[in-house]
Amino acid sequence: MNSRNNGAQEQDFLLAVALNAMIPLANERTLQAAYYILRGRKANQTLQDVHLYSLYPYYRLFPQLSKENWDKIVSNLLQRKLIVEIEGAGGGRKPTFAVTATGLHFAREQFGMYQMHLWLAPFNQSSLTYNTELFWQRLHLLVQTISQMAAASMNFIPVVSDRRIQQWVKMQVGDSRVRSGWKNHLADELYALWAPFPAQVQRLMVAQLSGAAQTGKTLGQLAMQQGESKFYLHVLFRFGLVSSIQRLHQEKEQFPYLHALVQIHDPENGDPRLSESASRTYALIKRGYQKDKIAKLRGIKVSTVEDHLVEMALRCREWDCSDYLHANQAAEIVSASEKLGTSRLRMIKDHLGKDVSYLQIRLALAQRQGESAP
Amino acid sequence: MKEGLEEQLHKHFGYPSFRPGQLEVIQYVMRGESVLGMLATGGGKSITYQLPAMLLPGITVVISPLISLMMDQVQQLRAIRRIPATYLNSTLDQRDAREILREIERGTYKLLYISPEKLQQPYIQTVLRRVGVALIAVDEAHCISQWGHDFRTDYLRLPEVIEKLGKPPVLAVTATATSAVQKEICELLGIKPEHIVQQPLNRDNIAIERIAVPGESERRLQVLQLMDRLTGPGIVYCSTRQAVDVLVASYQLEGKRSVHGYHGGMNSMERMMIQAQFLAGELEIIVATNAFGMGIDKSDIRFVIHYQMPASLEAYAQEIGRVGRDGKPGYAALFYVWDDVQIHQHMMEREYPNRQQLQQFTELLLKGEPFTTEMLASIDMTQDMAELLLFYAERVGIPSRSEAVASMEPDALRDCGDAIMRELEVRKRLKQQKLAEMLDYVQEREVCLRKRINHYFGDSAAGFTLQCCSSCGLNRRVYEAEEVAWTKESQEKNWDLLQALSVLLPK
Ligand SMILES: [Zn+2]
Repeated sequence: MNSRNNGAQEQDFLLAVALNAMIPLANERTLQAAYYILRGRKANQTLQDVHLYSLYPYYRLFPQLSKENWDKIVSNLLQRKLIVEIEGAGGGRKPTFAVTATGLHFAREQFGMYQMHLWLAPFNQSSLTYNTELFWQRLHLLVQTISQMAAASMNFIPVVSDRRIQQWVKMQVGDSRVRSGWKNHLADELYALWAPFPAQVQRLMVAQLSGAAQTGKTLGQLAMQQGESKFYLHVLFRFGLVSSIQRLHQEKEQFPYLHALVQIHDPENGDPRLSESASRTYALIKRGYQKDKIAKLRGIKVSTVEDHLVEMALRCREWDCSDYLHANQAAEIVSASEKLGTSRLRMIKDHLGKDVSYLQIRLALAQRQGESAP
Repeated sequence: MKEGLEEQLHKHFGYPSFRPGQLEVIQYVMRGESVLGMLATGGGKSITYQLPAMLLPGITVVISPLISLMMDQVQQLRAIRRIPATYLNSTLDQRDAREILREIERGTYKLLYISPEKLQQPYIQTVLRRVGVALIAVDEAHCISQWGHDFRTDYLRLPEVIEKLGKPPVLAVTATATSAVQKEICELLGIKPEHIVQQPLNRDNIAIERIAVPGESERRLQVLQLMDRLTGPGIVYCSTRQAVDVLVASYQLEGKRSVHGYHGGMNSMERMMIQAQFLAGELEIIVATNAFGMGIDKSDIRFVIHYQMPASLEAYAQEIGRVGRDGKPGYAALFYVWDDVQIHQHMMEREYPNRQQLQQFTELLLKGEPFTTEMLASIDMTQDMAELLLFYAERVGIPSRSEAVASMEPDALRDCGDAIMRELEVRKRLKQQKLAEMLDYVQEREVCLRKRINHYFGDSAAGFTLQCCSSCGLNRRVYEAEEVAWTKESQEKNWDLLQALSVLLPK
């Protein structure tokens, strides 16, 4: 397709999207109201409008849309007589606009041409709460990491530089069991997730991802390659993201691994590597509490808290347990266990005497086990 | 010592031997002496502090003004070299920063990249003192010089910080510095003048062309043609983001090759992908602002075109220096139209406050409220500009505490305003001078461009391997490809999700 043509086509598409967002707002809101919705402004008025007029698909549809660009769209709509301005009447009424018959026709025709009813269908009140960016960044980095692992070349530069996302992925692949799960199931689950989507969307999702054998393409590059408008591909991409997240929420059981992508843990409260109770203990430890205090605070037995500490020593390598176990004690315990050829606590304790506690032995052994896990 | 270091170089970085200048710099550092290394970007500048960091006890602190570069380097060190490195800068939130500081205390890292303004924080200094700083590497050291093309106020506070960190040896590195700038770096950072190591500046495999064009449309036409003809890969530098977008859009109408724009206005994921594609050879040409190229390790770049005249010879030398690191022939073309200088004048105007803004700024200072982004926007001032003003305000004796400012006599405050204005005028004139030097370079007749550039940096070398420059006579055909293949991708016909996923995630 000719690129010059593409420009006009792109402009028409943008006009149609703007117009369809504006139709419910006609005679009631100003010319700017739709702009705030498309940009995703967080102001109360804007969110109220989204709910009131069910404009869910349009909220944050084009977060990058500049005011300049918007003004161009509006003046285009006016010039082509798709809308007309209505001046503010007396009594403090704000200026508004009306959509002409030509406008309604244009909006309907363009939307039909681009099958927009299909692409906007998954958006509703709950999709408003999805964090599509987080989902995509996690998926992107996870796919890249697993792909590089499969190719046995870990010398790669992550596409996502956000530290939190990197930590999340690191956590996913840190545990050897979970890691091999991802390796075995990621492709299958992605296939199951995306197979029902239209081919154009599937292609869009896959082509943007990076791995050992491919470098991801930007949306702009794909638009160029396919001779499509970049804005149109963006709409398709958003359809792909929201539909993916929706399925992962609704069909949890089908996606035991991918489901983690839409789980949002506050690192202070929940740590997916630990049991719920242990992760609460870990959060308190991070705030500097000692085990006896934690038991009191949480109203649980000290021995339970100690169980949590052992769980942490096993699963959370970054935990510095020196408050409970010194490095040289740990070495002593490990070497005793190796010498005796046993992991039985009683035998190790008998060998080392009263200077080491059972907790310390358990911590040292758990730590060793955690470290030797591939 | 040389063999031992070479062995370590191979062990940690996989290189068989040092490049010119590297070993000398490292030897100074290992002896505990401060040194200034004049090393080209991409010419192995970073090895000179990364290798000592692995060998010295304690932590090596790398000061860098470029946040994205800092993050890239740390990523590469961790992923590719498995070297324990981290960074501290304004992009981290408090919780992350605290966590990193704890890890630093535990001795987790050998290398810390830090922005100069973070290093001012007393708490961070305390932690670093406790851990023991083995070496302070000052990257882009020319930023400390008021005579440099890229002076940064927070660099001028570094000598004080170095003192507070217990005066560890300092390694200052820069790619481009005139002798006046070198002298100032040495004085401020306490480096003996005889401890300057200079990599040979002359790049004998790069042919240099200078092309005057009558106007914008002629220029665009010529650049678009060259983009299709020159042997790639290559970079086209533009002065503004807008120029990048326009050039890319017009190339994509007719051009045959895979080309993409790159500038600070794009999101970080997009920039990472574009960079990765260029490194992997999937993209042939990048059209970029000067945001692209720092820290890019690609040795087979065959050409750099400057769409407009850059702001200084320093910037120019640095950017064409990215061509042909593999030693094979490369080509650099600089296009200019007489009013290119206007773009830079305009940018400079925006960089420095005018009298009225200065007035508004001192009023804000008097109110004693912190400078928020909104507040600065209300007087049409950037964060950089505000920092520059704060720095000069301090220098001319306006106290940093607001109560003290409030108690100043209006006359005294006005005098201070005048003093700040004078300081700013000096800075501005300096930049003007850099620009004038660049303008001289593009306009001078009959002078060998290679000698001209080298001479500017105090080097008299003039050798070349294939062709010298357009003044000495140059046949551009040599750098054009025999036949340019159509590399703009078109869509593959059959789509199969299962197959596509198996390429991405092979079992
Ligand atoms: Zn010459």
